[in-house]
Amino acid sequence: MGYQWNWSIFGSTVPTGETTYLVWLLSGLQTTILLSLSAWLLALALGSLTGVLRTVPSKPLSTLASAYVELFRNIPLLVQLFIWYFVLPEILPFGLGDAFKQQLSPLTQQFLSAMLCLAFFTSARVAEQVRAGINALPRGQRAAGLALGFTLPQTYRHVLLPMAFRLIVPPLTSECLNIFKNSAVCSTIGLLELAAQGRQLVDYTAQPYESFIAITLLYLVINVVVMGLMRIVEARARVPGYLGSK
Amino acid sequence: MISIQNVSKHYGTFQVLTDCSTEVNKGEVIVVCGPSGSGKSTLIKCVNGLEPFQSGTITVDGVSVGDPKTNLSKLRSRVGMVFQHFELFPHMSITDNLTIAQVKVLGRSKDEATDKGLKLLDRVGLKAHAAKFPGQLSGGQQQRVAIARALAMDPICMLFDEPTSALDPEMINEVLDVMVELAQEGMTMMCVTHEMGFARKVANRIVFMDQGQIVEDDAKDAFFGNPRSERARQFLAKILTH
Repeated sequence: MGYQWNWSIFGSTVPTGETTYLVWLLSGLQTTILLSLSAWLLALALGSLTGVLRTVPSKPLSTLASAYVELFRNIPLLVQLFIWYFVLPEILPFGLGDAFKQQLSPLTQQFLSAMLCLAFFTSARVAEQVRAGINALPRGQRAAGLALGFTLPQTYRHVLLPMAFRLIVPPLTSECLNIFKNSAVCSTIGLLELAAQGRQLVDYTAQPYESFIAITLLYLVINVVVMGLMRIVEARARVPGYLGSK
Repeated sequence: MISIQNVSKHYGTFQVLTDCSTEVNKGEVIVVCGPSGSGKSTLIKCVNGLEPFQSGTITVDGVSVGDPKTNLSKLRSRVGMVFQHFELFPHMSITDNLTIAQVKVLGRSKDEATDKGLKLLDRVGLKAHAAKFPGQLSGGQQQRVAIARALAMDPICMLFDEPTSALDPEMINEVLDVMVELAQEGMTMMCVTHEMGFARKVANRIVFMDQGQIVEDDAKDAFFGNPRSERARQFLAKILTH
């Protein structure tokens, strides 16, 4: 094949001289983690709220929540990203769009757009799982909560959601893995996250195999850690005498 | 205590309850029976507003259930309810099951609620299981905890929705014993059940339902001795032969 393997590129200095290629990769890793984690927390919050609203006994609220889910679930992630980054700042009212473009640094603009895009896209999927979790509970649980004098919000808070979330830890784990993987799409708006840094490395060093192997391994490490953490969550939340516990 | 006046309910065009009227006075035990699909569970769920109804009125201790201005949560906290499938909260220990509504709804202190809860748990004979979780108890034990949970709220009356239908035969009696004791202490009770032995022992009146209507509403002896309707006679003949 004639390819010259050279693993020492990661230690060599970048053309501008102030650091090494490894530091570039690690800064990409940091951006990927920050971006995905903040988007995940927002997605969890928005998705839980929307998922709950899909199950409340109010037609307008559940219809609104369904519309939200269908909107964010049925548009490709890449298209959503372009809308958040290129279109939204142009059409935001009250000077908000101009403020976004003029007062925030380009880096912050990219990060915010990417974060919101990933968060809303993922929240629609989280919402579906929260809804499925709530609907998987026996119908009598809601009635039992209400019959004890709990208000509807209290019934969700103390009775339905604690069990629903336990049921959906495995699918939520997949969503959490997905958000880290989907974050690579954000390199298309110039955000220097892990995938973008990998491509930059290829451009500068002409060592594509080493570069892509490195970012592949880093993504793998992230996701192994996420899976490990979610396993711990699952084990801790296990209910004695219920579903696959001792 | 509970007054049901001309209550009708339909899902779309399907009539579930038609013009049902009956009363439960303070200290009375009423048994509601009838074939499946006759609307008895729906009727009892209307009493604490778990099922809405389109016409008629239900009042509990003078409070109208169907009135949109009624604070239903407050009313429900005063009416105990026991379900066919127990509906304990699986993620909470037995103690937490007994105390959470006392604390969150009645505003009792944790200590007071625990005291009360454990006393009632002792009464249903399950004190040793306080730290366990519902999934670790048998059906009969879970149902007794569910009764204790309802009693912990100091209810003015108790609703039982087929409390023994989901139980193994061996466990039915331990639950019925608790209910009989409760009845003998003077608790106002409305029970949907097919346990005719229980009905004979403690019921004041029997309400017999068929196809969403109250066909018969009689004193216990009259109902078992000489049911007026043909439908009730058939029903009794079927369930009492074995």
